[in-house]
Amino acid sequence: MTISSYWQIDTAAEPRRAEPSLRPRLPALVRDRRRPSQNRFDYYAQLAQAAAQTGFDGVFLPYRRDADESRIVAAVVARAAPRIVVVPEFPASVGSAVYAAKQATTFQRSTGGRFGWAIAPDADAATRAAEGDDIGDDALHERTDEFLTVARGVHDRRPFTFAGRHFEVKDGGFDAPLNRLPFPKLFLQGEDEKALALSARHADVHLFRAAPAERLAAAIAWLGELAAQAGRRVAFGLIQPVLVRETEEEARQEAARGAAGEGALVGSFDGVAADLTRLADLGISHFVLSSTPSLEEGYRVGQHLLPRLHSLTGARRAVA
Amino acid sequence: MSIDFYWRLPTHGCHSSIHRGSYDRGDWSPPGPHNIAPGFGRDQEEDGFAYIDHLAEIAKAAESVGFLGGLIPSFPNTDDPWVISPLLARETKSFRFMIAFQPGFGNPVHTARATASLQRATGGRTLFNIITGGGGPAQLWWGDSFAHDDRYGRTSEWLDVFRGVWSGEGFSYRGRFYQVDGAGLPALLREEEFPELWFSGSSEAALQVASKHADYYLSWLEPFDQLTDKFAKVKERTAALGGEQKCAVRVDLVARPTEEEAWRDIRIGFENVTDATRNQWRGQATDSVGAARQAALRPTEARRYEDLIVAPNLWGGFNLLRGGPALGIVGSYEQCAARLDELIQRGADGFILAGTPHLEEAWRIGEEVLPLLGRNASSLLQAAE
Ligand SMILES: Cc1cc2nc3c(=O)[nH]c(=O)nc-3n(C[C@H](O)[C@H](O)[C@H](O)COP(=O)(O)O)c2cc1C
Repeated sequence: MTISSYWQIDTAAEPRRAEPSLRPRLPALVRDRRRPSQNRFDYYAQLAQAAAQTGFDGVFLPYRRDADESRIVAAVVARAAPRIVVVPEFPASVGSAVYAAKQATTFQRSTGGRFGWAIAPDADAATRAAEGDDIGDDALHERTDEFLTVARGVHDRRPFTFAGRHFEVKDGGFDAPLNRLPFPKLFLQGEDEKALALSARHADVHLFRAAPAERLAAAIAWLGELAAQAGRRVAFGLIQPVLVRETEEEARQEAARGAAGEGALVGSFDGVAADLTRLADLGISHFVLSSTPSLEEGYRVGQHLLPRLHSLTGARRAVA
Repeated sequence: MSIDFYWRLPTHGCHSSIHRGSYDRGDWSPPGPHNIAPGFGRDQEEDGFAYIDHLAEIAKAAESVGFLGGLIPSFPNTDDPWVISPLLARETKSFRFMIAFQPGFGNPVHTARATASLQRATGGRTLFNIITGGGGPAQLWWGDSFAHDDRYGRTSEWLDVFRGVWSGEGFSYRGRFYQVDGAGLPALLREEEFPELWFSGSSEAALQVASKHADYYLSWLEPFDQLTDKFAKVKERTAALGGEQKCAVRVDLVARPTEEEAWRDIRIGFENVTDATRNQWRGQATDSVGAARQAALRPTEARRYEDLIVAPNLWGGFNLLRGGPALGIVGSYEQCAARLDELIQRGADGFILAGTPHLEEAWRIGEEVLPLLGRNASSLLQAAE
């Protein structure tokens, strides 16, 4: 099993970084010639370049209602950073499924197929009302299902016709050259039965949240079974905050200052690499790793943790 | 008084010459030895370039010669403007991205947030050409089952919400198509400038929405008197609402050192048009009033290019040479500039110009035609001051 690693670019985590107007003013002593055109998008591009240079396979952009739109950031950074896959997360409430799928084709064509799609969990009723999303709780699951059916349908088939409760298409489907590249790799998430059932039908990768190993093992087995029933294979992934230092002691010290994210694996490079390898043994092949400040921590994880993880999981493979 | 000049990004590939219809820039025609972006090396391997790399060249050419930016059209078989714009944000400096957008494509609250992000990413270089779609099978292709006037109703409400979300927190709206409770942009995105709105559509329903929402009312080129009437109508409506309507023209040019050279290129292009192309443009199902006004020129029936000359320097067969509207301007650099000046006198405040091939013609028109502008209009400009 090949391990894929993604670094998280969270637009809400450090919005002030590299935004001259939102940072503390420099003292007059310091000659400051920054321009408004220098802003957080430079930082996002820097993060993606860092991920590319330090050996990540991709970057993952969680959907954040209170910050920059993940798909805009994705396009900006994809052009700035070579090689890596860019996976923005967005909800199925964005609008037309045909339009979203069509945007994906341009992204794929323009980046040599480096685009992924992650569907964000549905918002609560109040948020939906504020987003002009007029839909009841009981229809959310069905909408995501239809959204994905239509998006993949118009990409893969022509003519494609569909009449659902939320989307309708007649004689649709993309022509060459739009569909010259495959539909983006699809990441879904969620821990409950409905989410797993949806993944069994649609996902390429199902992302779990960090959880104890037994719980993950059970969920993996369950989803594996559902997917097999649907005649498909789904890869398993994990969204995993980390806090790594050369020694465990340093990492603990840093964590005590509040630097570790919820559910983070805290430890030495070797220790956390061993932890992740155990998770890989359970069947996890996609790791979405995060830690802030994202730039410095990305270098640390990329330069020191990833090589250890790859050599440990590679050794397992060789034995197996 | 100053006039806005935009260029256009061809999102359906481009031709290296107006003489031939094959798209040898981009991958819309079968791959051949002359194709670029992507191109094919001697070993027949793709060279690693994508069409976006050619679009980047055009955008950089346009901003270099003084165009404010470019219109980025959006049709079923084009690349997408919402993706092209952020892709090119960092490698262009002043180029403004005019995104062609049908309100049916996206939820207005999400779109407002994405727009504010794009404003930040580009330093405020985002604007829209709001379109409402041509109906017929193409609308259902997009997954949009609304009828013509309902689509304009939705466009109007969509723009109400888009603007409402932008201007405040706690924005609520009760419409036929949209209901919103307590919407607004997040604090991080609230400082961005609201994008300029250009608006296309020729029907009665379109003009009504334009008067309410459009900064620029945009039309394809039509015979000058007809266009003048149309502009007068929109300006009148907007004035009745207490506003002042700016108008703009989207037009292709074949500008050459001499008029003879310009017509020669048209003639060669016309003679190379295949029957397949003629048939393709004949009888496409649409409920678009604007498209009907272009089709009235009946370019597909013409046997000689001269039959399509509708006025001095106006030729009605452009849609045979490339996708898009029929009418365009053909002539020497001076004549092209004079026709544009005339349009300015007749009420145009902005232009989206284009020529094939888009890269080389951006340089040519920018260097040879734009500098000649204002000579013919100067008396009128003085009068306006
Ligand atoms: C200048 C201009 C640009 C247009 N660009 C697009 C476009 O990019 N995509 C599209 O689907 N329609 C485009 N249209 C067509 C409109 O969507 C629409 O079909 C047409 O304006 C129909 O409205 P009407 O019946 O009011 O004329 C454009 C129209 C004009 C005038």
